[in-house]
Amino acid sequence: MIAVGLLGLALGILITYLFVNVPIPSEWSAYLSLAALAGLDTAFGGWRAALEGRFHPDVFVSGFIVNALLASLLAYLGDRLGVDLFLAAVVTLGGRMFLNLSLIRRYYLNQISLKRQRG
Amino acid sequence: MNENRRTQMITFFFIWLVVGILLAVSLKAQVQIRTAELPSARFPDLARAYLQEKRSAQALEEEIRSLRARITELENALATGTKQAQVLNQSLQEAKMLAGLTDVEGPGIELILRDSTKKVDPGSIESALPDLFIIHDYDLLRVVNELRQAGAEAISINGQRIVATTGIRCVGPVIFVNDVKMASPFVIHAIGDPQTLESALRMPGGVLQDIIEADPKMVEIKQLASVRVPAYTGSTQFRFARPVASEGKSR
Repeated sequence: MIAVGLLGLALGILITYLFVNVPIPSEWSAYLSLAALAGLDTAFGGWRAALEGRFHPDVFVSGFIVNALLASLLAYLGDRLGVDLFLAAVVTLGGRMFLNLSLIRRYYLNQISLKRQRG
Repeated sequence: MNENRRTQMITFFFIWLVVGILLAVSLKAQVQIRTAELPSARFPDLARAYLQEKRSAQALEEEIRSLRARITELENALATGTKQAQVLNQSLQEAKMLAGLTDVEGPGIELILRDSTKKVDPGSIESALPDLFIIHDYDLLRVVNELRQAGAEAISINGQRIVATTGIRCVGPVIFVNDVKMASPFVIHAIGDPQTLESALRMPGGVLQDIIEADPKMVEIKQLASVRVPAYTGSTQFRFARPVASEGKSR
């Protein structure tokens, strides 16, 4: 599962650096970064769900798309309204990523100690 | 079960692929912003910084003005001693006046040029020539040139002293004089013989004829017994030019 994820990530970055050359207007780049962050959050969430054995592709994909769009849209709305909703999205997504990563870390630590006990 | 696991893997792979693409695109965009554009894309911060810089620039110009006046005072004080020092100081003050580094006062004229407010009939020929009804950088240039030709000894446009290095240039909707932005109305002060200056400007076929024909209200000339023209407050540093050592002494 990790290997597949990393492969996808590496391939995505590689493809973009080699073949994609879209100029992003500077006023949109912040929203794009936020969408990338939301995507990263969902991807970590999916990883955790897979480890816990309750991974559903439909939930995963829809969550990915909706979260990315919602985060960017919220930040845009915040800019229009003069409220920094950008920060709210960053804090929420960041917090969730740390939570998911810590759960993933614990899962692998558990696996290792289980193996040691058996061996 | 195995089938299910394969779908999982494929979904997982593609989601990470898209995450990778998104990350890389935004990384690229950020790098682009950092290298090619302004350090921060946040407009309110930039606007505040701009206003602050502008205010401090104004304060510094004020300081330059007062420091240069103080220098003149000190030079005069120093020169009270010997005869030679007095002569030297006199020619120094003359050079400074010629360079536009001192406030000067004397008889002259005040010329105000402003964009026309005339309502132009949409069907008329005039409506096809809107640039006849505004003041351009070349209007100011020709006026300055004409005033100098008529013997003006000091000229300023909206408080900006015209000196040897002054540029007058149209930049979008405004005109830069000495790198200071200004727009209509343009108040031009010139010191010289008032009658000569005004008739030079009003000469038939002269610099103001086209403007007056378009709309007489665009031009206003007043002869004044006393006009004050401020000193130049810009930089007097030479970055490229060096004085040439006199022929006899060199080599």
